[in-house]
Amino acid sequence: MANTKTSMQLVTRGILSENPIFKLALSMCPAVGISTTVMNGFMLGLAVFFVQVCSSVTISLFKNHIHPRIRIPTYTLTIATWVTVIDLVLAAYLPEAYAKMGIFVKLIVAFAIITMRLEMFACKEGMKDSFWDAVGMGLGFMVGMMVIGFVRELLGSGAILGHDVLGFKPLLFFILPSAGFFVVGLMMAFFNWVELEYKKKKGGNS
Amino acid sequence: MKDIYTIIFRLTLSCILAALVMGGTYIVTNKAKTHNEHAREQQVRLALLGYSSTNPAPESVELHAMYRYVISGGTGQSIGYLLPMSEKSEMPFSLVIIDLDGNFVEAVPLQITPEKVSEHSERDKLVTASLGTGRTARFADQVIIVTDDGARAAYLLGGKFQGFKTFINVMLSIDPTYSIMGLEVLEHEEDPGLGAEIEQDYFRNQFKDKPFDVLKTLAVVKKPLPKDYQNALEGKIDESMVQQMIEQYRDQDIYALTGATISSDAVLGGVKGIVRKFVYRLTILDKVIKEQQLAVAF
Repeated sequence: MANTKTSMQLVTRGILSENPIFKLALSMCPAVGISTTVMNGFMLGLAVFFVQVCSSVTISLFKNHIHPRIRIPTYTLTIATWVTVIDLVLAAYLPEAYAKMGIFVKLIVAFAIITMRLEMFACKEGMKDSFWDAVGMGLGFMVGMMVIGFVRELLGSGAILGHDVLGFKPLLFFILPSAGFFVVGLMMAFFNWVELEYKKKKGGNS
Repeated sequence: MKDIYTIIFRLTLSCILAALVMGGTYIVTNKAKTHNEHAREQQVRLALLGYSSTNPAPESVELHAMYRYVISGGTGQSIGYLLPMSEKSEMPFSLVIIDLDGNFVEAVPLQITPEKVSEHSERDKLVTASLGTGRTARFADQVIIVTDDGARAAYLLGGKFQGFKTFINVMLSIDPTYSIMGLEVLEHEEDPGLGAEIEQDYFRNQFKDKPFDVLKTLAVVKKPLPKDYQNALEGKIDESMVQQMIEQYRDQDIYALTGATISSDAVLGGVKGIVRKFVYRLTILDKVIKEQQLAVAF
């Protein structure tokens, strides 16, 4: 199955029509646990972005040498290797960023979204397409995390990017992990509604 | 059946490749990492003593590390303190052994350079060797004694205790009357937005200037933190006002973090334990130093 989409389409697909959080509903547990503020969402998104791109490129490079029976262990091994490398490099050369991102980076090994992209895309397509697909998925995840983080930060601690804007904490519940699911659910409904409206409009015009 | 050999071969090969990549990165980055950790530790120590890069410590301030060992074998357990000695004494370090009743057993002079002392494995080896056969020493903890012009100015204590999720690693400074000077959270894995707030100024600084007598009975209260006190703790108001505010709340309990009472409790309990144990041990050690007239560096 050769890929027929252009690089740009691959990137926008990851952000909009196949957004990992709102459309594919993958990697929910770690995402919901961390996305308490916009900044946390961004940090985790950035870390996932790098691991996704590196792993996708590696797998698409070696796809002809991977035995089909052991592809999942191979994917896990690749992801774990990249996570370890990024963890070590960050700790050594960017200690300030690592102090904030350290706990997120180690979580990524358990992310379903990365394994799924390797299985669905990178092991079949060429390196260039895999790279753009990974960029799209990584950005889509980052955007999703930041949107959830925005809602939770605003409602949970009355702040945006750490700056107190409301002056009070409307609903502490939104900081708790379980509230992440509520936010994700509401967002999914919103995205689906937008898509439906868009389709209706398009259908009416033509 | 043919498949199994290729599978085994390829899996092994990928594992070796992955190991090589990870090992290579580790070797390349390890030096920079230890350097960072060391630099951070120094920075935290200075910050806890009230110094910073813009306000450096004067030359008269010296840091002396004291290492505590648990010694087993021989006549049961005893405690060994590896103490830095003053410049007048022949040997730079001395291992002072005290039995569990707090009585002096012996002092073994040790020839070791300060650089080697700060290295874990070198120090452990030397301490064990100095005890002779039949006794083993296990490293327990280290305390840094800060002197200013020869007089004790502060103690830096480290410690690890159970938080809500995993361990919380802290460092705190106390003055010679055992009042808390500062608290820093070095490592923790509490929930972001809840327990992770323990590292924020408005929580940490509540411990500042609490005298030892107050600390003994300190508790956590589940009440909202007053706004003016929070501003003072975060350093948002004038310095003289901050001092006044801290004085006003000196005898008050610690305000728990919203939604993270267990983490707040854990930090208070941990800090209490660290200070209490240290004061108890130091009293015994000081008594022995005085009785034996040991020429220590602090």
